Order: sequence, then structure tokens, then C-alpha cells
Amino acid sequence: MILLFSGVVAVLFGTGAFLMLKADLFRVVVGMVMISNAAILALIGSGLSRGAAPIHPLPDDRLSDPLVQAMALTAIVIGFAVTALLLAIAYRVYTSHESVDLDELSREEVRRERELEREEISP
Amino acid sequence: MTLLVLPLAVVWLGAALLALLDGRRRFVGWAAVAVLGANVAGLAALGARVTEDGRQELVTGNWPRGVGITLAADELGIIFAVLSSAVLLVALLYEVLAGVRSRTFPSLVLFMAAGLTGLFLTGDLFNFFVFFELSMIPAYVLSVYGDQARRKIGAAFIFAVVNLLGSFIFLISVAGTYHVTGTLEMRDAAERLADAEPASVMLIAVGVFVAFGVKLGLFPFHFWLPPIYVGATPAVAAILSGALANIGAYGLLRFGAALLPAELELGARALVVIGSVSILYGAMQALSRRDVREVLAYSSIGQAGYILVALAVGGRVGFFAAVVYAVVNSANKALLFLTAGLRGWLVGAAFVVGAFSVAGVPPSAGFFGKVAIFQAGVAEESIALLVLLFVGGALSFVYMFQIYQHAFWRPEASAGGREPSPAVLRGLTLGLAGVVVAFGIWPEPLLALSGGAADLLAGDAGESAP
Repeated sequence: MILLFSGVVAVLFGTGAFLMLKADLFRVVVGMVMISNAAILALIGSGLSRGAAPIHPLPDDRLSDPLVQAMALTAIVIGFAVTALLLAIAYRVYTSHESVDLDELSREEVRRERELEREEISP
Repeated sequence: MTLLVLPLAVVWLGAALLALLDGRRRFVGWAAVAVLGANVAGLAALGARVTEDGRQELVTGNWPRGVGITLAADELGIIFAVLSSAVLLVALLYEVLAGVRSRTFPSLVLFMAAGLTGLFLTGDLFNFFVFFELSMIPAYVLSVYGDQARRKIGAAFIFAVVNLLGSFIFLISVAGTYHVTGTLEMRDAAERLADAEPASVMLIAVGVFVAFGVKLGLFPFHFWLPPIYVGATPAVAAILSGALANIGAYGLLRFGAALLPAELELGARALVVIGSVSILYGAMQALSRRDVREVLAYSSIGQAGYILVALAVGGRVGFFAAVVYAVVNSANKALLFLTAGLRGWLVGAAFVVGAFSVAGVPPSAGFFGKVAIFQAGVAEESIALLVLLFVGGALSFVYMFQIYQHAFWRPEASAGGREPSPAVLRGLTLGLAGVVVAFGIWPEPLLALSGGAADLLAGDAGESAP
């Protein structure tokens, strides 16, 4: 089971990293979401155990680890909030530059730098 | 014991309340200053308690130890907590005096203060991650604060993505630690990690190093840093370099020296190489730039290298140097970034104090940072390291003097149509410069507290003081 988990984590992280290297901003955000989910799965996998819910544990019960559930829930919330923030930033980039392509953004930046330099040389 | 909770609770509640109000109104700004001032005072009181009675610990909710979440304050945590909150206070005061330009600014600074206070005072690995995120998210938003948000938004996106990747790699390392040790309590984890299987612990160590390397802006992970620091307003740049970058230094010290000492020793050579490249790369890039903020941004990369080299040297001398250097560096950077945006009488004096402190000229605080680093180099008995430290120091002197000359001595720069900045702002930066000089003249409190932190770390690493 742990092997399966680590396999899924590896595939998710790899896919996320691949998407993050794309120039399209929204692919980068999706890549970030996949990596955050890989981290959450790694958290669950770190304390994987079979057993009853630890609501009223008796001494000779086999229990599943509740701590990883709590951590995974917290991490999901944080990942969700962060995704919302990233999407908001990406949307701001889209509304102000009318483009979601990082290559295009950097080209525009270079162009602007050149203009500034030209202004500085000949005011 | 309430002293442990109070600074965190005050600033967290204040942040949540002020988020509902319009931060551009004066009383909101001043209320934020008051809340943050209370936070700094509480942390300072806690610091006095820690130096007298040693480590303070509190398990939340009266749970037995090992079940509840621990809050703990020791010398290492408290020195960074006080420093970061103080830098945030100065930057917030600067912005309130200059006029806040966005309704969220005061509460974002308070949220960051809450995150940083919690991060430096937590004794729990997963809580470390939570506070880490709590202090990073305001930073993503603050990086586009001010005019011309349109131009900064691209850099802000890259900043957020790169640092989030670092955070999630750290989370995976936390998961790994929990898997290997079965605990999230830092001290228990440190004990059990020592007996764990080395290969898996090494993986955890690499993840932690990458996460904090990104935060600190070390050489291979630095590419997000210059555009952010150059685009940010003076107060935000001071916050990012003076308060937020402390996470990187503290994290490397706490995790490297206290939790993973064996791995730190194993990787020492690699860390020295990365740190040296960082020093030289930062200095060379800084030397070739003319814009003040750009030079300071690259200088931050170089200074981060010193901290890493000191950490890699290890032992009491190395940890001591890393702590002192990190503290002095963040004070310098806060001072320089705040001063860089100002014009007028005595601003040059404040800037030159910061510049000399970066270069390590007495009587500024930077002198003791440099001395501690050289002591670490001597303890390592490596000529190459000493030469490197000397060259790095000389280069930093050259580039700091160069931008001082460029920014304050050229006639068109000093009279270039820009009116002198408000006197209160100049007074504030001058006061900060006074603090930097005061720590250079009377460094005992800083050195004693750093020494305590270094003793603690060297004790954890199982080494006797040299």
C-alpha cells in the first residue's frame, strides 16, 4: 500500500513539475495544485495504518493513526487557499497584460527596459 | 507561561480585526503599530525570561507532553522572533508615516508578524509548516503593493510559485520525518532521527535544505529574488529582506544544526561550495549594477552565502557566526532598503552607516558579524576559506561604496528634481542607523544571546565548545 502511495506521489509530483515548466500561467497553477496534492498524499502515506477510528480507544484495539488525517486536512485547506491566491494573481496578469504566456510577458518587459534606457540616454 | 502565547495571540487577533477596516485611514495604521509594538514588547519580555531561566515550553490545551502541540522559546528562536518583529515594526512605522496606499497593508504586516512569531516559537514540525505558510502568503500579496502594480505582477507570480514549491517540498520532508520517527515534536524527532536509517534521513535533509535555500535566496535558488526586491516599495523590500529572509536562516540553523547534525556534517563540503558560489556570484552581480535596490538585492544573495558557509563550518564557532551574521545582516538590509528611497539632509549619513555595516567597518554592528565569520574560517583552518571571506568582504566594500557614491554624490542625483523626503521618515531611518551603530559599540547583549543560541545548537550536535 505504501509502495502504491509513493508511486502515485511520484507521478503526481513529476506531472506537476512538468506543468510548472510550461509558459502558460494556468498550466503553472495546475502544476502547483498537483504538487500540493502530491505533498498531501505523502503526508497520508507517512502514517498509513489499518485499524478502527480512534474515537474511544480500548487498550487492545488496533487503531488507525488520526494525526495524519488532521495534518492532511490542514494541508488541503492551505493548498486550497494558496491555489485561490495564485489564480487571482494569474487573473490580474491576464487583465493587465492581456496575455497568460510567460514568454510574452518577459519579452514585453525587455522591450520596456530598452525604452527606459533610451529615455535615460537621450532625455 | 502566558508570555509564550500572549505575543502571538495579540498580533493574530489584531491582524484579524484590522483586516475588516480600511488601512489607509490613519487610526488603523497607528492601531497596527500599537499592536505590533505590544508584540515586540511581549517577545522582549519573553527573551529576558529565556536568558534568565532557559528554555520555556508550553503544551497547548494542558495535554500531556507528546500529545498536544508544543510552543517553545529558546535563545535561537527568541533572537530571531524579536529581530523580525522589530524590523516589521520599523517598516510599518515607516509606511504609516509616509502614508499607507492600500487598505490591506497594516493587517497583512500583522498577519506576517503572527506567522513569524509562531514560526520562531513553535516546537512542532507541522505547525512550523502552517506558520511558514501564514507568513509567506502576506509576502506574496505585499510584493505587488504600491504604484505600478501592473509591472510587478509577473515577478510576483514567479515569486509565489517558486516559494510555494519550496513550501510543499518542505511539507514532504515533514511527512518523511513523521514516517521515520513517528513524532512531530522537534526535540523527540531530533533524538529519533539520530538513530534512523541514514539514507532516508539524507533525503529529508536535502528537502529541508532546498526549502530554506529558496527562502533565503541562495545561489541556485535565487532567480526569483532580484525582480521582487527591485520592484517592491522601500518598506516592503525591508520587510522581505529584513524579516522574511530570517525564516531561511532560522530554518537552516534549527533543522540543520539541531535536527539533522549528522547530515549537516556529511554535506558540509557541498554547503561550503554552494555558499562560496553564492558569495562570489552575489558580489560580482552587485558590482556590475548601478541601481541601489538592484545592488542590495544581489548583495542579499551574497550575504546569504556567508550564513551558509558559517553553518557548514559548524561547531560552536560556526553556529555563533551564523546567528550573529544573520541578525546583523537583516538589520543592515532593513536600514539600507528604507534609506534607499529617501532624499535629503542626513539620509546619506544613515545610508553610509548601513553600507559600512555591510562591509564590516567598525564601529558598526557589521564588524562583529565579519569578525565572527573570520573566527569560523580560522577554526576551519582553511586558507582558501579565509581568502574567500576576505575577497567577499573587500568586494562588498567596493560595491557598497560605489552605490553610495552613485546615489548620493552625483549632483543630478542629489538635486535631480526630487524634493527632500519628510523629516519624520529621515529621523526614523537615522534612528535605525543609530541602533546599528549602538550594537557595534555595545555588542554584548547580541553576542551573549547568540552565544547562548550557539551553545544550544552545538550541544544538540553533540560537540563540546572549542
